[in-house]
Amino acid sequence: MVLGPFLMIGLTIGISYLSANSASSSRQVAVISTSQPLRRDYIKQQDSGLNTKITTVSAAKSAMGKNHLAGYLLLSDNQQQIRADYHGSSQMSSALKAQTQNFLSRYQQAHNYQQAKLTTKQQRLLARTPVLQQHIEKKAGTANLAKTISFWILVTMIYIILITYSTIAAQEIASDKGTKIMEIIFSSTTATSYFVGKITGILLVILTQIIIYLLGGWAAFQFAMNNASLKPLITQYQSLIDTVLHNLLSINLVYLFLGVIIYTLLAAYSGAIVAKAEDASKAAQPVIMLGVFGFFATFPFQNNMDALLVKILSYVPFFSSYFMPMRIINGTVNGWEQAISLVVLLAAIALFAGYIGSQYQRLMLQTDNRSFWQHLLHGWRHQS
Amino acid sequence: MLSIQHISKQFDTVKALTDVSFDVPNGQILGLIGQNGAGKSTTFHSILNFIKYDGTITWQGHPLSPDDFDTIGYLPEERSLMTKLTIEQQIVYLARLKNKSAKDTRLRIDDWLGRFAVKGTRKSRISDLSKGNQQKVQLICTLIHHPKLLILDEPFSGLDPVNADLLKQAILSARDDGAAIIFSSHDMENVSALCDHLVMLRKGEMVLNGTLNEVRSQFGKTELYVTTDWSATRLATLSGVADVETRQPGQYLLHLTDPAVGPDIFAELTQGHYIEEFSQQPPTLDEIFRMKVGEDHA
Repeated sequence: MVLGPFLMIGLTIGISYLSANSASSSRQVAVISTSQPLRRDYIKQQDSGLNTKITTVSAAKSAMGKNHLAGYLLLSDNQQQIRADYHGSSQMSSALKAQTQNFLSRYQQAHNYQQAKLTTKQQRLLARTPVLQQHIEKKAGTANLAKTISFWILVTMIYIILITYSTIAAQEIASDKGTKIMEIIFSSTTATSYFVGKITGILLVILTQIIIYLLGGWAAFQFAMNNASLKPLITQYQSLIDTVLHNLLSINLVYLFLGVIIYTLLAAYSGAIVAKAEDASKAAQPVIMLGVFGFFATFPFQNNMDALLVKILSYVPFFSSYFMPMRIINGTVNGWEQAISLVVLLAAIALFAGYIGSQYQRLMLQTDNRSFWQHLLHGWRHQS
Repeated sequence: MLSIQHISKQFDTVKALTDVSFDVPNGQILGLIGQNGAGKSTTFHSILNFIKYDGTITWQGHPLSPDDFDTIGYLPEERSLMTKLTIEQQIVYLARLKNKSAKDTRLRIDDWLGRFAVKGTRKSRISDLSKGNQQKVQLICTLIHHPKLLILDEPFSGLDPVNADLLKQAILSARDDGAAIIFSSHDMENVSALCDHLVMLRKGEMVLNGTLNEVRSQFGKTELYVTTDWSATRLATLSGVADVETRQPGQYLLHLTDPAVGPDIFAELTQGHYIEEFSQQPPTLDEIFRMKVGEDHA
């Protein structure tokens, strides 16, 4: 389960590689011309996607019939007119078309200059073109992109871990429900200790998974840095990667872990209140629904962090794990606000764990038939 | 000593226990008998604080608390083990909950497996064991930490006579070590063989309480075992005889309406006749149990 994402990534890369290799030959284009200099110059300016072994129309047609070739380009130089005819089963790719157009223009122009016997100065004047240049604030663009990437990685991580472990926690607890082994255990230790132990065990598994993902990410990064073809890409986006890592390896990880804890507690409680162990999968449903709701609730606000609802939900346990990291990544929250949200979340976790611990023995041994709401009402009546 | 004083428990409209009181001194065995639903398991659950109850239960003079858990050995009515574990893992896990070291427990596992003649090794998976052997492993888990308070709910159910004898030896050994033991059973022979004290519950109420002799003597010597050449029909004509059961040809059990008629019957049977057996006794525990259950159905 923990290695699942790595296997998925590995499989995707492997399948893509195989698919790309098998498809590349059938996407190639052959270049055929009676003028060898023209053909040579065209091939020289093209860096990929050409089949240079095929030199005749009949060979090209045969290769196309076997689906080994996408098409062939027939270059000719008749009466000072450069011409290219493409024959294929589908349209030329836009990149090839643009490159071919560019080549033909340059070749024809050079040819025209030569025929017109222009001076160098005249040639330079005729070659002058207007200028269009875009001025982008690269730093701001990178920062926005980093925020978006960080946001998606974080909420997706919370969502995946939460969905996976909510079901596991609910089933773990529900499978013990009503069994006599629980009577033996509760004659040996307190229900609270047992519950805390059980939850701690589940959380350590989750922590192990997070650590494995972090180590996996670090290993992948190191591999990319030492890979000749990937290193330039990493270097090009170094600032983006640094910002994303900074956003993830921060207090946001604490929010992620605490969010998983409170959802796991709720899942455990759901598992404990089911009537029988077989209902465990149903027990996890309310927790999953809440998690899914939190996940999707973030979508409309990712570009509107100043919304009042975002501010409120960033302090509400079960939602703060999604919304506060959003605000932290966006830089719209100060340290005090983060601390208050964390304290509220920690207090909610402690109170919730204490309440479940106190009810755990009764729920697991099924020693009375009062419902959750009946117990709650009973508690209120005694307090008032 | 385990002391139970005036405990009562009600589930909605059903009275599960009503004013039940008894003591189990250290080094003694108390048998708790009664029909299904009489309140035996509810009594055990009350002792272990699994349920809330009215009344007082103390162990060694104080209410049972988590500090006492390490001194308790509890065997529930239905057997339940973690079937994915091996015998060793299961025993060590439950012993660790009783604060016994894993190392010491591992050293003693083979000895216990031998004492209960468990068919399997310490590495055998629980799920691979027969039902009887699983039950023996559960008994080992209950006893391995040498509990001072042993609570056994139907410990003999499902055991063949040979294994029942092994369990009896283990219970007597725990008693000799000074443990206070309370167990429930439907097998009156085992109860008679083991118990120092007996309590019978019927619909949550105590209907019998005392030593085996005290309980039996409450019913008088109404059972008369005789071996004679008289026929069953002739024996039935004797004054004060309610019923005659033929045990073997020539061997009879006479149920008397009044124990006082014994000497008259003896005189009648021995007039000019030699009789091999004449023994007037109180009813057996099994008969007492049937009588008490019968009173309820009457």
